[in-house]
Amino acid sequence: MEAENGEGQVQVHLKTKQEQYGVPDVPYSIDATVATTELNTFVNTLLEQTSTDDSHRTVEFDFLVFDEYLRGRLCDHLREKAISFEDAIEIEYVERFPAPEPQDCLLHDDWVSAVKTCGKWVLTGCYDNTINIWTIKGKHVLTIPGHSMPIKAVSWVSLDEERGKFISCSQDQTAMLWEWMVETNSVECVSVCKGHERGIDCVDVSPTKDRFATGSWDTMLKIWSAEINESAEGSTKKAKLEGGSTRTPIMTLQGHRECISAVQWMDKDTLLTSSWDHTMKVWDLNMEGIKTEISTNKSIFDASYSNLNHLIVTASADKNIRLYDPRTNHGSVVRNTYLGHQQWVETIMWSTTEEYLFVSGSYDNQNKLWDCRSPKAPLYDLIGHGDKVLDIDWSNPKYIVSGGSDNTVRVYKSRKAVNGGSKMETGK
Amino acid sequence: MAKKSNKRKATEEKKEIVVKSKEEFSDEAEDSSANEEEDLLQKVNEVDGDSTDDEGIEQNYHSDDSVLEFESDDEGNFTGIKGKEAGEGEEDDEDVEGDSDEEDSIDEADIEDISGEEEEEEDADDEENEAEQEDSEDEVENLKEKAKDNGDEQVVKKKEKKPKTLNSNQANPAKALEDFNNELNKGDKNKKGIKTQNNSTKQYNEYENSDTSDEEDIRNTVGNIPMHWYDEYKHIGYDWDAKKIIKPPKGDQIDDFLRKIEDPNFWRTVKDPQTGQEVVLTDADIELIKRINSARIPNPEHNEYEPWIEWFTSEVEKMPIKNVPDHKRSFLPSVSEKKKIGRMVHALKMGWMKTMEEVEKEKQAKRGPKFYMLWETDTSREQMRRIHDPVSAPKRDLPGHAESYNPPPEYLFDEKEQKEWLKLKDEPHKRKLHFMPQKYRSLREVPAYPRYLRERFLRCLDLYLCPRTRRVKLNIDAEYLIPKLPSPKDLQPFPTVESLIYKGHTDLVRSVSVEPKGEYMVSGSDDKTVKIWEIATGRCIRTIETDDVVRCVAWCPNAKLSIIAVASGNRLLLINPKVGDKMLVKKTDDLLAEAPQIDSLESERIKTAVQWATADAAEQEKGVRLVITHFKPIRQVTWHGRGDYIASVMPEGANRSAIIHQLSKRRSQIPFAKSKGLIQCVLFHPIKPCLFVATQHNVRIYDLVKQELIKKLLTNSKWISGMSIHPKGDNLLVSTYDKKILWFDLDLSTKPYQTMRLHKNAVRSVAFHLRYPLFASASDDQSVIVSHGMVYNDLLQNPLIVPLKKLQTHDKVEEFGVLDVCWHPVQPWVFSTGADQTIRLYT
Repeated sequence: MEAENGEGQVQVHLKTKQEQYGVPDVPYSIDATVATTELNTFVNTLLEQTSTDDSHRTVEFDFLVFDEYLRGRLCDHLREKAISFEDAIEIEYVERFPAPEPQDCLLHDDWVSAVKTCGKWVLTGCYDNTINIWTIKGKHVLTIPGHSMPIKAVSWVSLDEERGKFISCSQDQTAMLWEWMVETNSVECVSVCKGHERGIDCVDVSPTKDRFATGSWDTMLKIWSAEINESAEGSTKKAKLEGGSTRTPIMTLQGHRECISAVQWMDKDTLLTSSWDHTMKVWDLNMEGIKTEISTNKSIFDASYSNLNHLIVTASADKNIRLYDPRTNHGSVVRNTYLGHQQWVETIMWSTTEEYLFVSGSYDNQNKLWDCRSPKAPLYDLIGHGDKVLDIDWSNPKYIVSGGSDNTVRVYKSRKAVNGGSKMETGK
Repeated sequence: MAKKSNKRKATEEKKEIVVKSKEEFSDEAEDSSANEEEDLLQKVNEVDGDSTDDEGIEQNYHSDDSVLEFESDDEGNFTGIKGKEAGEGEEDDEDVEGDSDEEDSIDEADIEDISGEEEEEEDADDEENEAEQEDSEDEVENLKEKAKDNGDEQVVKKKEKKPKTLNSNQANPAKALEDFNNELNKGDKNKKGIKTQNNSTKQYNEYENSDTSDEEDIRNTVGNIPMHWYDEYKHIGYDWDAKKIIKPPKGDQIDDFLRKIEDPNFWRTVKDPQTGQEVVLTDADIELIKRINSARIPNPEHNEYEPWIEWFTSEVEKMPIKNVPDHKRSFLPSVSEKKKIGRMVHALKMGWMKTMEEVEKEKQAKRGPKFYMLWETDTSREQMRRIHDPVSAPKRDLPGHAESYNPPPEYLFDEKEQKEWLKLKDEPHKRKLHFMPQKYRSLREVPAYPRYLRERFLRCLDLYLCPRTRRVKLNIDAEYLIPKLPSPKDLQPFPTVESLIYKGHTDLVRSVSVEPKGEYMVSGSDDKTVKIWEIATGRCIRTIETDDVVRCVAWCPNAKLSIIAVASGNRLLLINPKVGDKMLVKKTDDLLAEAPQIDSLESERIKTAVQWATADAAEQEKGVRLVITHFKPIRQVTWHGRGDYIASVMPEGANRSAIIHQLSKRRSQIPFAKSKGLIQCVLFHPIKPCLFVATQHNVRIYDLVKQELIKKLLTNSKWISGMSIHPKGDNLLVSTYDKKILWFDLDLSTKPYQTMRLHKNAVRSVAFHLRYPLFASASDDQSVIVSHGMVYNDLLQNPLIVPLKKLQTHDKVEEFGVLDVCWHPVQPWVFSTGADQTIRLYT
């Protein structure tokens, strides 16, 4: 009863998956009113005691109680979850994800509606019909005109030291496949993909890098070849002279009733699309049909699928971000709702390395970094944009990049990813 | 004959009595009439000792005379005293007895003796009177005989007395019974007797001798007063002739003493308080007094222990008296009883029936500890007064300090308050206090309440006028009366929040229209520009400048065409927005580029009103393809669903204010020859070839094929501002400048199905959603109200209208709020344009 009033003691087990921060697994009796700061000092003290040498440095932890972030007092959290105070409570602690730091601001001439990073290069699509290539350090490399209408989506196909390949999609109903010679800093339109009857809104390249999919306002989903086909190149030399050959879709998938707002490859034969018609569809390319359909009650502006945890987060025509699980039969059931944005969430993306993290960009001029176990509040607000955020990208784990209608691209450096990223790179 | 003679005799007897009494009475009465004398005499008789003698005489008469009158005549007086003791219940017996004394007079006399005492005054009433009448007849005779008979009479009396007493003594019950039986047998004879009697009585004036026992004593007319009032006078009242009754000379004590010695009757001499005369009590009187004193029955002849006469047998008869057989009912067992018993048996079986002890125990258990209300409520008191369900008086506030006779000074009114208080004379209910606090030094100085009478009167009036029956106040929630509307939550989706603001115009935005696919929209503003926006991002794609204020924009509803109709001043511009499908844009351009051949000549009337023209190069660049110049400023343009016809409205155009343009033929028509009023807006029916024309007050529906008026909708409003038709075409919304939104069910009536007063100011625009059952209205009160307007396929079901959400984010600019409202074609999103130069999207 005392505990109910927030004054009792609670038995806790402290656990972690990060071995370097392990503490002895003995129950501790702690005050129920503790919050994260107290727990932090507690764990740090424990670590200090257990460490043999003085190598321990203070680490910031976050605490998970029953798979949800502890955001306030422990007792409030328990009460909300209707957990008995008498049970021994397992608290998992993880090293706190370090706050991303704003690093750079890439100024454009017009609204930036699409960004994509790959390695140290940033590809941006702009409302002034140009594609720009920047380095992550903020150096402008190239401006590529070519489209006749605002660019809505860009995507890297491949990038190595010599050449890069990327796709841009525009409201002029075309997608363009570009080849960029890094050394000479010259760009060439490999082919123009024509077939959509209205503006193309989204693009994604398959994991095998040989195909890409586009979704358009004409409600069609089209699959294109991303290969620089020698034969095609040969046959359309004339076209190439004009600025690239014309390409037709391999496959056209019809099913949505409204504009397709996001497309993503789940694996090499499976596609996820989200649409303004309030649905998400999972397409099987072998069957050329719909595998699963998740219906919601709001137009979806963006959806992102994580290969790490196989969940989907969506940004829709309201302030909430929703988490869906495509594997269940009841895919329409919202697993979780993340409240925090003040306006429409326009863009969203999972981290490629962290299982629980994703970023979102909203019309309230903010990016937010979320942990999917913390629905009440985001981990961090990434402030910087002066207007609507139109696209966000976290393909490079080191950097969170977002473009907005304030004509800028903001680059946030994610410190944790620095370590993780470097590890991965070394791992490779 | 015998009777007659008897009567004669009787009268004679009377006279004798009269004479006798006269002797006894004072001399003064002598000169008065015989009647009076008789009266006086009778009264005297009551107390007179002579009455016994009279009785005796009577008995004699009876013995030889069967007439009863006499007997009662004299006897009546006597029984005046006696009757009081005698039971009245025996009247009948007396009568019977009285009637039956014709035959053997001796026996009868005996019976009379037995029953004589029981005889009553009431008989005396009639009979006396009769007798007196007789008396009066024989008055003269009487007078003559008076003197003669005087002496003898006394003797007779004395003689007669003895046999009577003897008789009475001898009288035994057996004989009485015998006599009674005889009498029964002679019933018919008696009747005869009575008849004759009646004949004889007719001669009497019944009331002449008005001396009945219940009348006042008329010997002295002073009435029933304490006689000591006359102590100081010589007289003791007044007689019937208003003469003073002089008190008899009162001797002194010596005289009294002497008389006591001399007069042997002195001990039985009493003074009549009424007349002051001395009366000597008779033996009978004394006997009577004695009996009364010893609490015995006053009449010595009354036998208390007479043998029981069994008039009705006490034996139970074996045979029934009546021959009627018992009714069948009486043999059948009672059904109700059977039921009752059945119930009891059932109760016994079920164990419900309880003995008294058990019941008592249960009661005891149930009762528990006893509590009672210390502070009784009003209702319980009313219940005690057996007023059920009383309406208890409202509780009044406890008096405050202000009501005190000596309130603290801060409660007293200052001048301002007083003035205010007085000012509200006509509306006393608005006063803070219903009285003016006043200060008195002591309670004694508090004057009487001046309005007491008035208020009492009003209260009584209230009570008098109030209905006697208790009016059952309907305990209905106001909520309950409101038709059951579904909760807005259940009617989602509908726009609830402002999501995007489209900024760019520099003057008030008049109109907005969305592309059929829902990716772009167009807006027209007073800054003479038309802007095309990307809805999702709020990006202004293109700005097209025009020469004049843009009053109305309309995106062609046909998705196969990419045209916007823009009403800019006098000109109607057809603009290709060049967004969306490129093919479509091109095709549209091609379509508009080539002018079709005009085969028919246009009338002068149309020619002067509109001119078609292709846009010049500069305008072509901007996207303007065709220009239709009107002769007056255009207020509104609207597309037909197929996108071939445009209707434009020029309110100042008089009878040419509405014009329909056909795009494919580049032709214009003026559908109306006459103007029925100031046309505000027109609207094409989504399915049928109909045109809705709204004038200031009414909406007319015309069939464009038959060219006739179909219906006239009466809006009952002053000024219509806009219209919108449900996509199914059966329901029309009309907005008016007098704050109303009218919903017309076109199948139902020409009057509005529902009138909504949701806005606080003029409603400028109203719009139906194409897919969702939603409609929105825009008003100068800066709000957009989104409502649910469900139209059912079932014709019997009326449309359901539920106001859902008030969206109020626009700023007010010079009395203007929201000017236009438009729905997204597929999403439940609504756009509004305001005087604050913005377009807002609510989702």
